[in-house]
Amino acid sequence: MIILSTSDKGGTGRSVTSCNLAYRRALQGSDVAYLDFDFGSPTAGAILSVSGAERGTTSGAGLHHYLQDRVAEPEQIDVWSASEREGLRGRPMGAGRLVLVPGDQGGGEFPVGTEMVDRCIQLFLSMEAEFELVLVDLSAGRSQAADLILSATAARQLQAITVRWLVFHRWTRQHIIAASGLVFGERGLIEAGTERGHDRADLENSIRFVRTAVLDLSSPEMAGLRPPQAAWLQSCNRELQELATKTKLGRTTMLGSIPLDPVLQWREQLISDNDVVFSQIANPQTSQAYEDLAKRLVHDEAWMSL
Amino acid sequence: MKVQPRQQLLEVWRGMVGYSFSDTGWKWGGRQARNSVSDAEQLVCLMYPATVLPTFKLDQPDQTANDVLVALDFMGDSVEIPKRLIRVLAEYMDTYSSPGGSPTFGAGSYLEPQQADAELSEEQRNLAVVDSYSMSITLTLATLGFIKVFRGVLRRKQLRDEVDALEETTSRRLTGAMIGLLRSFAVRTFEPGSDAGQAMCRTANQTGEPTRRIVEELHRALVEIRAGLLDVTLGSGGADVLDNENLLFECGWSWGTIKGALEVKTDEQIDQPDGVSPSRPYLYFTVVALDGIADLFSERTRILGLLNPEQQNLARALQLRWDLTQRYWSTLASFGTGRWPLEDIPWRTTDGKESDYYSLLVTSATVEDLVRRRATDADLTRVGEVLDELAARGRITRRPLMDDPAVAMHVTGVRLNLDGAEELGPAADWPASDYAAVLLKRTLRVAGLARSTELRDRLLGLADEAWSHLQGRRLETVSMGTLWDQPGQVFPDVEIRHDLPSWYYTQRVVECLVAAAAFADDPPLRSARLLDTARDLLNEADHLFGRELLVGSQEAGPAIRANLRRIEGKLARARAALRERPGSAMALALDVLAELEDLTAARADADRTI
Repeated sequence: MIILSTSDKGGTGRSVTSCNLAYRRALQGSDVAYLDFDFGSPTAGAILSVSGAERGTTSGAGLHHYLQDRVAEPEQIDVWSASEREGLRGRPMGAGRLVLVPGDQGGGEFPVGTEMVDRCIQLFLSMEAEFELVLVDLSAGRSQAADLILSATAARQLQAITVRWLVFHRWTRQHIIAASGLVFGERGLIEAGTERGHDRADLENSIRFVRTAVLDLSSPEMAGLRPPQAAWLQSCNRELQELATKTKLGRTTMLGSIPLDPVLQWREQLISDNDVVFSQIANPQTSQAYEDLAKRLVHDEAWMSL
Repeated sequence: MKVQPRQQLLEVWRGMVGYSFSDTGWKWGGRQARNSVSDAEQLVCLMYPATVLPTFKLDQPDQTANDVLVALDFMGDSVEIPKRLIRVLAEYMDTYSSPGGSPTFGAGSYLEPQQADAELSEEQRNLAVVDSYSMSITLTLATLGFIKVFRGVLRRKQLRDEVDALEETTSRRLTGAMIGLLRSFAVRTFEPGSDAGQAMCRTANQTGEPTRRIVEELHRALVEIRAGLLDVTLGSGGADVLDNENLLFECGWSWGTIKGALEVKTDEQIDQPDGVSPSRPYLYFTVVALDGIADLFSERTRILGLLNPEQQNLARALQLRWDLTQRYWSTLASFGTGRWPLEDIPWRTTDGKESDYYSLLVTSATVEDLVRRRATDADLTRVGEVLDELAARGRITRRPLMDDPAVAMHVTGVRLNLDGAEELGPAADWPASDYAAVLLKRTLRVAGLARSTELRDRLLGLADEAWSHLQGRRLETVSMGTLWDQPGQVFPDVEIRHDLPSWYYTQRVVECLVAAAAFADDPPLRSARLLDTARDLLNEADHLFGRELLVGSQEAGPAIRANLRRIEGKLARARAALRERPGSAMALALDVLAELEDLTAARADADRTI
C-alpha cells in the first residue's frame, strides 16, 4: 500500500505526523518505508534523528538523484539502527522494519519529464514489493512532486496497488479553505489527477483529511481557560465544523485528528511511548491519536465511503 | 428546571445502545418479549430525539455532535452509526410484515389475560392495537425524515439501494398505520336515560342543574362536533349512528380495529384484517392516537414533504378526527359554568369506571385544545391545579399510605379491558402504567403555554417534582447509561424488582425529555415588571454615564479612560439585551451603576478632605 502525505500550507505538521505514523505502523508490526519527496526541504532525517541525513542525505544517492537518473538505486537507511535517539535505537520486539529513503541535501525542485515518471513507477513497484506500507511525504502545496506522483499512480503498472492520500491541515478557517482548495479546487489534486487519467470518483474516495494541532476543549489542559474564552472557542469550533462540512472536509472524509501537543509545538520529533510513560513530556492523547490513525490508515472500513 | 434534557437523553442513548447493540446484532425486547409496539418504542428512544432535536441529529455524519458520538461510541463512529441504524430499522420493518409485504401491528406480549392463569391465543397476540399504529407513525415519520437527509450524503450504490428499500417498507408501514387508525376510530351513541347517558350527565353536571337541561346544553355545546362527525366517512365511525339527534354521543379511538369497519380504498395493496374492537372510545387509546396523529401534520413533516399524495389524503381524514375528538373532550372537560367536570377528580367514564388516571388522560386530550384556543392564563391555572392534585393523588408529590391503591397504578397499571378480544380466546387486558410520565409531559406542555411567570414557576416546580420521582425510578441494574423503570425504588411497599428495561416506560420518559428540551430552547418569559425595572435602571446608568463624560473624566488618564470604554460597551450590550433578556440587561446596568458610583464616591472623598 502506498500512502501519500500532502498539505496545502507549510507548518501543518505534515512531516512530523507522517513520521509518527510510519513509526507507529512499524511498531504495529508492518514493514514500513518512508520516502522523503519533500524536495524543497527534506526534513524526515531530522525528525527521525538520523545523523547525516538531517536535511537530506549527503551520500549523493538520495531521491533527487535517483529520479534524475544519477544513481541506480536510492539509498535506504534503517532507522532502527541509524537513529541517534536512545529510545529509537534497536528494533522493538514484534516491530516491523522502518526504513528512510531520504532526499538529497540541497536538492531543490526540478522539472518533471516522462522518464522521471517511469523511474517513479519503478521505484513504487519495487518499494511496494519490499514493504507493506510505503509512506511518501510530499511538499506543501501543488508541487512538481505531486504532479509526478499523480502521473505515476495513474499508470497501468500501479493499478493493482492500493494508493491513498492523506491531506493534512490545521483546524483553522484559512487552513480548511486551503486544504479544500488543494483537493477540490481548480487545478486541485482531483482535477489534475483526472486529467492524468485517474477515475474521478475513485481518486476522490482515496483522499482523506487529517486535522493537526487541534485544541481539544474537553481535555484537562483546557481547565485554565476563562469561561468566556471556553464559550468563544466552542462557538468557533462549531463554525469551523460547519465550514468543514461545506468544503467537504467534514467527519466523513476525515481520517483522524491529532491533538495539540506542547512537545510538537517546539520540536518536531517522534513521540514514543517512553515520552508518554517515563519522561511524561508528551500527552498520552497524542500518542493514542497516532496509534489510532496508524490503524485506520490500513483499515478498509475507514476508507469506505458512504 | 431540574431536568437537564440533553445530558439525560444522552444517558438514555448510552443505556439503550449498551443494552441493545452488540457485534452479533441488535437485542430486541426487554422486560416484555419483543412485539411490534415494544420494538418500535425501543427504536423511537433513539430516532425521536435524533430527528426532532437539531443537536441530536445523526443523519449528517459530518455534523454529529461530539457528546452524541461519545454516548453512542459503542455503535461506532459518526459514519458507522447511521449505517447501522438503517440496518436495524430495516430489520424492524421486515420483522413486522406479513409474507405478502403488508405491515403487521400485533401487540403480542403487551396483552395480558384478565385471569392470571389463562393463556391468550395466538390470534389474540396478533391483534393490532392503536398503540402500535401510533408508535409506528412516530417511528416511520422519524425514519423517513432521517432517510431524506441521510440519502443526500450517500454515494455508494449498495447503500443507496439499502436506503431505498427501507424507505419503501417504511412508507408502506406508515400507510398501514394510518389506515389502522382510520379503522379504529369510534363513535358511540346512547340514550340520555341509559347507564352511559346518566354517567355522562353526572360528569357534565357540576352545578346541580336538572338532567333535562344538562342534556339540552350538551346537545347545544356539541352541535358543531356532531355536524363534523357526519362528514367522517372513511374507515370506521360512520355517521349513520348520529342521525338521531336525541342521542348523546362520544368519540375517540377504540383499542384496535373496530368490528365490521369498512376497508379504506388505497392504490397500495395493504392487507386490512377485520377487527373485534367495540365501537366505543377508550380514553387511553384516544390520547395515544391523538399524540401519534399530531406528528403527521407537524411542521417537520410538512417541510420535509414526508407524505406521498395518498398519505396526505389519509392524513387529512385523520386530522378531521383529531380536531373533532380533541374539541369533544375539551368541551366536555370544561363544560358548564361552575366547576369544570375535569376538576371533579376522579373522572368517571361512561361505562362507570373511575380513576385518577382517566382524569389525567382527559387533561391530556384537553391540553392540546388549549393550545389551539390560545387559552388564557386563567384557564391554564385551572388545568395546572388539576395536574397538581393528580400528582398528589398519584403519590408523586406525596408519600403513599400503607397499602395505598394509587401505587398499583404505577406498578401493575390501570387495567383496560379489551372488550371483544374474548371472541378469540380468554378475556384480555391492556395494562397502562405510564401515569407519572404522562403527568410530566403534560405539565411541561402547560408550562410552555403559560404567559405569567407565577404560573410558569408553579408548573415548573411541579415538573421538577415529577422529574425527581421519575429519576428515582431509574433502573439501576443496567450496566451503563440510564433506562427505566423500577417503581419499587420510590414505593417502599412494592417488592417486585426488575432486571430488564421497559421500553414502554423508557420511551415515554424520552418523550418528556424531548418536551423539556423544546421548552428550554424557547426564549424566557419576559415579565413586564422586570422590563420596566431594567429600563429604569438602564436610563439612570445611561444618564450618569453621560454626566461622567461631561465632567471630562476622560482627561484623567488611561486608567479611567479604559474604564469608561468598558462601561460604554456594557451599556450597549444592556440596551441590546433589554427586550429579549431584561434580567441580563439589568445585571449589566447594575454593574455600570456600581462602577460609576465608585468614581463619584472617590470624588466626594476628595472634596471633603480639602
